[in-house]
Amino acid sequence: MTQDNRSAQRAQSRRNFIKAAGAGTAAATFGAVTLPASAAANLKFDAEFDIVVCGGGGGGLPCALFSRWLGNRVAILEKAGSVGGTAAKAAFWYWVPNNEAMKRAGIADPKPDFLKYVARLSRPEQYDPSLPKLGLSEWEYEMCEAIYDSASPAAELLASKGALPYRHEAAVPDYWAELPEDKAPRGRVLFPKDGLPSMSDGGRVAIRTMSTAARRDGVEIRTGYRVQKVLLNSAGAVIGVEALTEEGTTFRARAKKAVVFATGGFTHDPELRKNFLHGAVYGGCAALTNEGDFVRISSALDVQLRNMNYSWMAPISLEKAIAKDGSLSGIFTPTGDSMIYVNKHGKRVVNEKLAYNEVCASFSEWDGAKGEYPNLALISIWDQQAQDNCASDDYGSLIVPPGSNDRHVIRGNTLAELAAVIRERLAKYSSAIGGMDLSDDFIDNLQATLKRFNGFAQAGKDADFHRGERVVEKLFNGSVKKKANQKNETMWPISTKGPCYAALIVAGNLDTKGGPKTNSNGQVLDVSGVPIKGLYGIGNCVASASARAYWAGGGTLGPILAFAYRAANTAHTESAST
Amino acid sequence: MRHIQIMSIALAACLSLATAAARSQDEIALGKTLTTNNCAVCHAFGQGEPNGQGPNLFGIIGRPLAAAPGFKYSAAMKAAAAGKVWDEKLLDQWLTDTQVVAPGNAMTYFEGDEARRRKIIAYLRTLH
Repeated sequence: MTQDNRSAQRAQSRRNFIKAAGAGTAAATFGAVTLPASAAANLKFDAEFDIVVCGGGGGGLPCALFSRWLGNRVAILEKAGSVGGTAAKAAFWYWVPNNEAMKRAGIADPKPDFLKYVARLSRPEQYDPSLPKLGLSEWEYEMCEAIYDSASPAAELLASKGALPYRHEAAVPDYWAELPEDKAPRGRVLFPKDGLPSMSDGGRVAIRTMSTAARRDGVEIRTGYRVQKVLLNSAGAVIGVEALTEEGTTFRARAKKAVVFATGGFTHDPELRKNFLHGAVYGGCAALTNEGDFVRISSALDVQLRNMNYSWMAPISLEKAIAKDGSLSGIFTPTGDSMIYVNKHGKRVVNEKLAYNEVCASFSEWDGAKGEYPNLALISIWDQQAQDNCASDDYGSLIVPPGSNDRHVIRGNTLAELAAVIRERLAKYSSAIGGMDLSDDFIDNLQATLKRFNGFAQAGKDADFHRGERVVEKLFNGSVKKKANQKNETMWPISTKGPCYAALIVAGNLDTKGGPKTNSNGQVLDVSGVPIKGLYGIGNCVASASARAYWAGGGTLGPILAFAYRAANTAHTESAST
Repeated sequence: MRHIQIMSIALAACLSLATAAARSQDEIALGKTLTTNNCAVCHAFGQGEPNGQGPNLFGIIGRPLAAAPGFKYSAAMKAAAAGKVWDEKLLDQWLTDTQVVAPGNAMTYFEGDEARRRKIIAYLRTLH
């Protein structure tokens, strides 16, 4: 084989690989191009800005605004046809430690205790409160400090400019409100001011108000522009990007000061998912454009990938995930008091009311003797009482009111009938779940499970999984019809008479949280720990220092605002590249 | 000679008709790609398919505003909808900036490129 043939074959195979990996996008090549001085001087750019922000979601929009308000010429290049990204679908709570509303309300949130809370949850295996950095690495500690220091100034600036007015949701607890390290268990959550009382639609409001402000203040927004390459000069500084438009044309943007990536994680790239995440993850409610573009682009740049093994997780409907249903949401509220999750053996394996990220640890449990994931897909089962009194369209509730999208709901007049339909559905998705089927003793076990659970429900105490004993579990309980003799609002006996209902659930992501490592100002670091001049990353496309932890509701977006703010401030001070 | 001339004119006319048809087909095909990229995250397009974050768009042209069965519209959308029916002109305004047509509604979308809007609408027109 000639050299040319081999390289052509490699190129072809890479194209095929990327085509297979990308969901519905044209063959694309990602990477970095270093230009010799003469080429850099002569390269024709279609437009020039000071700061180019790649991605117009919950990280990119605020970063563009912060950059613009400092006087820079700013563009957002968004791959999707519309701004918003994952944040548009999110509830958009944002977790802001020591925020101004807390100060006004007299809620103390001392920094040393905040750092202990996040350190304990992020690195439980190393946590030691007697150490100066609490057991965190220097980098993790610096990143967590940055969240404490900058999330609140970021939120205040967005609010004062009318880009993101907020209201204080002082009653919302952290996800481990009872830990002794949590000295401010309530009060850190802010929410877009005009959102619904249910706090479920904050993302739509936030994207509307931030994009309106961006256009008002002169940020140029181009949608349908997929950034594929960063361009570097001969000194190794990033000087611009190359994007592919929806029409298939190439667009080159010069960035005099910096390029900021805020392009989301790799939730919708099955190849990256399989190779970096633990267990089987079936996509998630991240924007469908979150295909790991920055992981691929930065691979050409000697970066340090970090925290690739963790994601912000939530259970999702197997059927909606496979259908790529636009209404797919994480199951944030496991609604229903007369509701349980069982595995294929008909047994409960988890406290159903745990916070969404925590429930997901169950799916990847491994049975080393049988060589299988016994909980690969779990089955939520509820009765008519729950259907009548707990249905909701919010927060990914599996129990939905009549007339709503209910493609995921399985019905049976008896438990046996229900099991038969569950088997049919599992067979339909056989290739996605490794041929998983209900065990032969499923119905017998399920009946025993229901009897045991119903006893717990009557007593108000779940002796197996302690359902409903923690503050956060009541937050996610959803609405119930309170019964006079109900001792625990999260549990009520499940009728075995029928009709009965079920839905199949699997592990999913809000998004991943690994990528190139940055410093706490969002500068992407090379292998020797030195910032790559002109290259920044924020949000889910770069490494999060949270490791496994999902500290609280809004633990995603609060920190993202902090890093958007710090990246914009640092990028602003960059000298213009040549 | 005259016969040949007529033949030529007829042929040219046929060709230009065919070209126009092909161009229109191309526009619809590109429109489908654009519509998928721009709208499919929230909307379904097939008859009887469930609503997503937004309503199903099958049969959108000719349908009154805020009238997809089973979809829960925002108060702002309902307020702006009174007496209006989706036609190409209104869709063009909508896609230019949804927040101008129905301020405060749940959908944030703006496309400044007239050619892109035209292609998206060309595809939406086929959904009947």
